[in-house]
Amino acid sequence: MNFEILNMEVVRSLYIVSAVLFILTLGGLSNQETSRKGNLYGISAMLIAVIATLLGPQVSSNYGLLIILILLGGSIGLILSKKVQMTEMPELVAILHSLVGMAAVLVGLVNFINPTQEYLGIEKTIHSIEIYIGIFIGMVTFSGSIIAFGKLSGKLSGNPLMLPAKHYLNLIMIIAIIFFGHNFVTSGTIDSALVPLAIMLTISFFFGIHLVASIGGADMPVVVSMLNSYSGWAASATGFMLSNDLLIVVGALVGSSGAILSYIMCRAMNRSFISVIAGGFGTESSSAATASTDQGEVQAIDIDEFKNMITSSKKIAIIPGYGMAVAQAQFVVNEIINILKTKDIEVIFVIHPVAGRMPGHMNVLLAEAQIPYDIVYEMEEVNDDFGNIDLSIVIGANDIVNPSALEDPNSPIAGMPVIECWRGTYTVVMKRGMSTGYAGVENPLFFKDNTRMLFGDAKESLSQVLTLNN
Amino acid sequence: MKIGVLKENKQNEKRVALTPSIVKKIKKLGYDVSIERDAGVNSTFYNTAYEDSGAEIAAIDNVLKSDILLKINKPTQDEISKLSGNQTLISFFSPATNTESLQLCAKDKLNILSMDSVPRISRAQKMDALSSMANVAGSRAVIEAAHYFGRFFGGQITAAGKINPAKILIIGAGVAGLSAIGTATSLGAIVRAFDTRPEVKEQVESLGAQFLTVSLDEDGSSSDGYAKVMSKEFIAAEMDLFKEQARDVDIIITTALIPGKEAPKLITKEMVELMKPGSVIVDLASQQGGNCELCEKDNVAEYKGVKIIGFTDLPSRLPSQSSELYSNNLFHILDELTPNKDGILDINMDDDVIRGMTAVKDGSITYPPPKIEVSVTPKKPDEIAEPVIKADEKKSSVVPALISLALLFIVGAFAPASFMNHFTVFVLSCFVGYMVIWNVTASLHTPLMSVTNAVSSIIIIGAITQISTTDTISLVLSSVAIFIASINIFGGFAVTKRMLGMFKK
Repeated sequence: MNFEILNMEVVRSLYIVSAVLFILTLGGLSNQETSRKGNLYGISAMLIAVIATLLGPQVSSNYGLLIILILLGGSIGLILSKKVQMTEMPELVAILHSLVGMAAVLVGLVNFINPTQEYLGIEKTIHSIEIYIGIFIGMVTFSGSIIAFGKLSGKLSGNPLMLPAKHYLNLIMIIAIIFFGHNFVTSGTIDSALVPLAIMLTISFFFGIHLVASIGGADMPVVVSMLNSYSGWAASATGFMLSNDLLIVVGALVGSSGAILSYIMCRAMNRSFISVIAGGFGTESSSAATASTDQGEVQAIDIDEFKNMITSSKKIAIIPGYGMAVAQAQFVVNEIINILKTKDIEVIFVIHPVAGRMPGHMNVLLAEAQIPYDIVYEMEEVNDDFGNIDLSIVIGANDIVNPSALEDPNSPIAGMPVIECWRGTYTVVMKRGMSTGYAGVENPLFFKDNTRMLFGDAKESLSQVLTLNN
Repeated sequence: MKIGVLKENKQNEKRVALTPSIVKKIKKLGYDVSIERDAGVNSTFYNTAYEDSGAEIAAIDNVLKSDILLKINKPTQDEISKLSGNQTLISFFSPATNTESLQLCAKDKLNILSMDSVPRISRAQKMDALSSMANVAGSRAVIEAAHYFGRFFGGQITAAGKINPAKILIIGAGVAGLSAIGTATSLGAIVRAFDTRPEVKEQVESLGAQFLTVSLDEDGSSSDGYAKVMSKEFIAAEMDLFKEQARDVDIIITTALIPGKEAPKLITKEMVELMKPGSVIVDLASQQGGNCELCEKDNVAEYKGVKIIGFTDLPSRLPSQSSELYSNNLFHILDELTPNKDGILDINMDDDVIRGMTAVKDGSITYPPPKIEVSVTPKKPDEIAEPVIKADEKKSSVVPALISLALLFIVGAFAPASFMNHFTVFVLSCFVGYMVIWNVTASLHTPLMSVTNAVSSIIIIGAITQISTTDTISLVLSSVAIFIASINIFGGFAVTKRMLGMFKK
């Protein structure tokens, strides 16, 4: 049986349609209104690409197997997407990245052992390099994503792995990979090239593990977006290997998307990409963290006072951190803002770019609780306006509201943009105890004159606030 | 333990040490509370309100038997004579000037905690009754001035003619001074304020007043939180300034006071003569002799048409408010004194604040306490943190551009045409991606990642083209690749759809 209906030229032109639709997919995400359409563009682009390939000259048999595999994998994917909790999104994204990485490795291996085309001279060298790089990136994405998944899901410790001389270790691994790459390219036969390839696979497997394992929990948003980028580059490298422009285009789109997200995350923490990749948070300047001495005393309040503060405010800013999601408090928060609306109290949400475990995670969690997205603001949009805000409520956040980032040049988080809620009239911080945040830095916000602390479980406290109606 | 609240017996005193709302909080610390009958009547806190909040109403003799006695004004000698055993009294005491009473208290196992000896450190602000009373006094001073001043404060233009706004000079921008500034500006007056400490300028201006200063460069800040005594030259310059202002302003409110010391004479008879008839001076330092030479304690003096108000009971003239604030201060002190919330008083002499307040401990005088440094010493300008330099400083983009150019040249020199085609596509796609992604709103970054995740599974195309093979290993590998890429495609798009569906306006 053969379905070679389309010739290669038609397939190529359909690939162009597909590539354009993929670009529109990403463009659609520029705002909430067009985002759903964007997703549909993505689905149709994928559909067009797959069908065009199926009907093109490159596929001539095994159609049944192919359809069964797609349906089988597809149903698993659908089940995963239905079951996942929104707090688990970073884990899901990480594990899906690892699949892309693995797929790139497999496609590379097949192309290596069963080449569809004969190359000669410089073209052969380039093709070998393409295979080698494609498999390398795929493998690093795969093993790195597995570790990221483990860290995000709590199966592995969030602490950075601190091997002695880890920078040299990385360097040695990269040199080894280049060395075996040379062997791989210059070896004449498939059999003789297999050995360096296998060694490289092993090294890059450990390289990926080490790369992610040595990054601390607070830097996970960067890691997730970095792996997102890698999965794109892996697809792009595969495109070079197979001389397939669609793969190159789409891979490059995804690669730059992940790279930009990583950059945004790094900027939000005022850390350079290199330093994030190279090691854990606060490892280089932890000695300065304890420099602050007597900070005064915190002023604790109880629920009744908290209720009074809420009802006597005109404009309230809620600053959520990942702690809110962990406590699953966002649903109660939504009920509260509905009550406040009836009392003519304006409520806005202020989100720091690194709140949550992946870029934009907090927004999704709020959206899940049906909090309208037009009252959810970015940090930069609100920071200058805190003078108009009567009450800021910090729920489960710490480092992102730490004034020492701006005031103390020795602080490990110095220079990180933070939400400047202390410029408002009052701030209430809901917290379990006086522990420090991810970065392990004392937070002078808690000791400010216009800050009040409400100790206890955020969800429980907020549930009690719900009774403020009666 | 039992806490007793005495009715204030000083003339014209309308305040009460504890209000019903604070009784509730103190009961939570484990104490029983007993209130002298009618103690709060003058500040509109009635006996029934106390009973409702869990206090018992008792006669004075019963109250005096309590373990802890709370008061506002310093105890009379008669009251001191009734104290015995290991009772604790918390009230204003002025141990520095009230030495006679202090000696009398050194008996049995008495403890005396003086409310006016709370150290001025930031931790103790919530217990500082001097500050909270000064706040009330400052505000009330403006109201008293308005009462005796025969004009409006705010300016107006009416059909009957123009009304000029009142000009007010406030000397001393401490708690009372700032409170007076706030009240006066909100009544519409033009307010000027003078202080020897330049660092209060910002606070004065934030309240809408003009900050006056002398041209001499001398800083009046000191480490105990009060202004220090200035040099002769400075005082001369200061007096010239006041003289000049006296001609111009309608109202002067003086707040220059250092506890336990005689108030500095700032407004001389000569200056009063310079003021317009009908002007008003409110002297908040009259308790310690007054800042104005002509001030009479607890009285309104009049000199050449200028009224000089010397009331010392200004906080008591807003009795409900003052009582509320004072009881809050008391509550915070009791909270400190009861670390276990078990109703047992623990006077911990290792605690700076408690040590500072304690004038008598177990029947022996512990005043004066060792000096402690105020933690709110103003920062010297050079200590102010330099703006933190951001890591992503703009670097010169010339070098990377040159490197990229060189790399491109090398690639072009060696690579075959087929590679260059793909490479062109690749570089252009990177730029398209770069342009498009910057437009993505930050709130959609998670959906962006899940959709790019699905999109990057385009790699399935590669696997599909490899499946039509007879080689078993290739077949197995590409099958697995297709399988896992499909998980990714369906999972990625479906979860993106689910997320985007949640975003509602």
